[in-house]
Amino acid sequence: MAVPIFVIRQLHVAVEGREIVRGLDLTVKGGEIHVIMGPNGTGKSTLASAVMGHPAYQVVSGQAQLDGQDLLSMSVDERARAGLFLAMQYPAEVPGVSNANFLRTAVNSRLGEGHEMPVIKFHRMLMEKMKKLSIDPSFADRYLNEGFSGGEKKRNEILQMGVLNPRIAILDEIDSGLDIDALKIVAQAVNNLRSPEVGFLIITHYQRLLQHIVPDYVHVMMQGRIVRSGGRELAERLEAQGYDWLKQELGIEDETVGAPA
Amino acid sequence: MEQTMAISPLVMDISARFQEPDWLRQRRQEAWQTYTGMEAPRLEKTDLSRRSWEISSLTNTEKSISVSTQKVLSKLQGQPVVYIQDGQVVSTFVPDSLTRAGVLLSDLHSAVVEHGDLVKQYLNSVVSSEESKWAALNAAVWVNGVFLYVPDGVQVDSTIHYIYEFTGNAAGGAPHSLLVAGVGSHISFVEVLLAGDNLQFGKVHSDVLEVVAHSGAHVTVSCLTQYRKGPTHFTVRRARVDKDASMDWVFGDVGDGFTVGLLESDLQGDGARSTLHGFGLGFGRQHLDFTASMLHRGRYSESDIVMHGALRGRAYSLYRTSTHIFKHAVGAGSEQADRMVMLEPHARADAIPMLLIDENDVQRCGHAASVGRLDEEQVYYLESRGISRREATRMIVWGHIAPVVEAMPSAPVQELANELIDRELA
Repeated sequence: MAVPIFVIRQLHVAVEGREIVRGLDLTVKGGEIHVIMGPNGTGKSTLASAVMGHPAYQVVSGQAQLDGQDLLSMSVDERARAGLFLAMQYPAEVPGVSNANFLRTAVNSRLGEGHEMPVIKFHRMLMEKMKKLSIDPSFADRYLNEGFSGGEKKRNEILQMGVLNPRIAILDEIDSGLDIDALKIVAQAVNNLRSPEVGFLIITHYQRLLQHIVPDYVHVMMQGRIVRSGGRELAERLEAQGYDWLKQELGIEDETVGAPA
Repeated sequence: MEQTMAISPLVMDISARFQEPDWLRQRRQEAWQTYTGMEAPRLEKTDLSRRSWEISSLTNTEKSISVSTQKVLSKLQGQPVVYIQDGQVVSTFVPDSLTRAGVLLSDLHSAVVEHGDLVKQYLNSVVSSEESKWAALNAAVWVNGVFLYVPDGVQVDSTIHYIYEFTGNAAGGAPHSLLVAGVGSHISFVEVLLAGDNLQFGKVHSDVLEVVAHSGAHVTVSCLTQYRKGPTHFTVRRARVDKDASMDWVFGDVGDGFTVGLLESDLQGDGARSTLHGFGLGFGRQHLDFTASMLHRGRYSESDIVMHGALRGRAYSLYRTSTHIFKHAVGAGSEQADRMVMLEPHARADAIPMLLIDENDVQRCGHAASVGRLDEEQVYYLESRGISRREATRMIVWGHIAPVVEAMPSAPVQELANELIDRELA
């Protein structure tokens, strides 16, 4: 299969009538790791949710394509089956649905009717992936995210990513609430998956995840758009000096969405 | 049409057909008088004024075993089971081990003949013919049902199955079942009430299940029902729970019928306890007025109610969960939880938690009720992993219902429940 390509052009997204993402352009290709950084309230998570198709986020204008297919005209599940994955910041809890059952249904949805993975094979694969992520086997039988700690939820998101083999994976603040050990495990998982078959878009506040994952591109988001792109050194400078220098350079006083440019 | 004559030909016909003893004949006649003397009650959420009370004497002899029943029966080889269709006994099987232990299992008419004293002692001792018009009707015209008597101290290991099937051939119905668990006995009983797709309209179906759990008995009664469209269904299932006895109910209905139902434990003994786990899956134009109730009369009696409802189409369900702690039921404790989810825009649901507490010294008493639409965050989450909305909905609803189904102590009945639920969620 061709190398994945994920293209966002002039994307505008509103939440409850208020425009949060305001003209964003981005291209992620297979094999690349892109990081979007930026202070709180600049539209990073909105971007992720809108691209995935969360019903509360309205795309006002612009385009989002995966491998040339128009994501915005697809339902959420179609986007996922096209190869888009979003590791969520606040994944829902679904009582009564076991992790294993959920994952198997998800895997089989991607494989399509008549091509379902045999139960034994799935189970073996799941156990193997869980082991790699240092996830206790009991996870499989627990109800989806119910009663999971913050760190467990994040690891479960990464597990799903590993099981579903997406073409483009967006990780929305996957590092928040993780202790250093869990952070290393998550980073390791991303590094293991790294290949020309998958492109990553990692959304984060902090540089610390980037001590374990080496990004190809770093983007800074302010006021609902990308205001600066660079390499890994950009993240390092932000970590060392904060955002003020960049705001000064750009003449931005308030970086949050809705503030005057 | 309501009949007002003192002696009902219907009652006489039934008594004659089963050659019933005088005591029963007389009880039926008295119940009939109670029935005809009672007005149809005014229920808060259910209009009975235009419902018919017509019922025939259930003489249908055409038997056609449904595929569902066949499936369940085929998996119950060698297990205790009573199977009745439209009031006619189709088959009864009682393993020798049970008979040797003194367990009595049969249809209720046979029990009247063979163990008349026991039936006389317990029949309508838990569900009185005076308590409601439909209970009176059932007491007057009941035709068959199951009778189970477990002697003191006997533990029955295998689950006892009772299958009642009603078909389009039946003009209403009135099964009556009676379970008696002796002191310190253990039983697990599963009732399956199956209905065909073409039940007659303008008729009445009134079923009653009475359970007597003597001191220290452990009883599990699980009911999987299909109250389908057609007749007006009335159902009363009640257990009297004596000292230190326990009564666990597992209830599930998949239906589109017009139904007024009551499931109740009367915790008479000190230290009596009861749980009630139920689900309802309503579809079509269902009207379900369902009460789950715990009566705490004994000291330190305890109960828990958990009800899950899911509604499609134009279904309306009302779940009333009621806990009544009577004066002197010192140290009683009770918890209720209801969760109802409306899957489609025209489905409606009401949850009415009721706590009636007449005693000051109560250890716990709480309730939680929620009625709402499907949680869109959950749907979105599952969809974001490639699962279709339909499948996501099915999984979420299953998530609520599955623990109840899994609590049914019968693999074949669990499978049947899964089938019925899947059919409605597909």
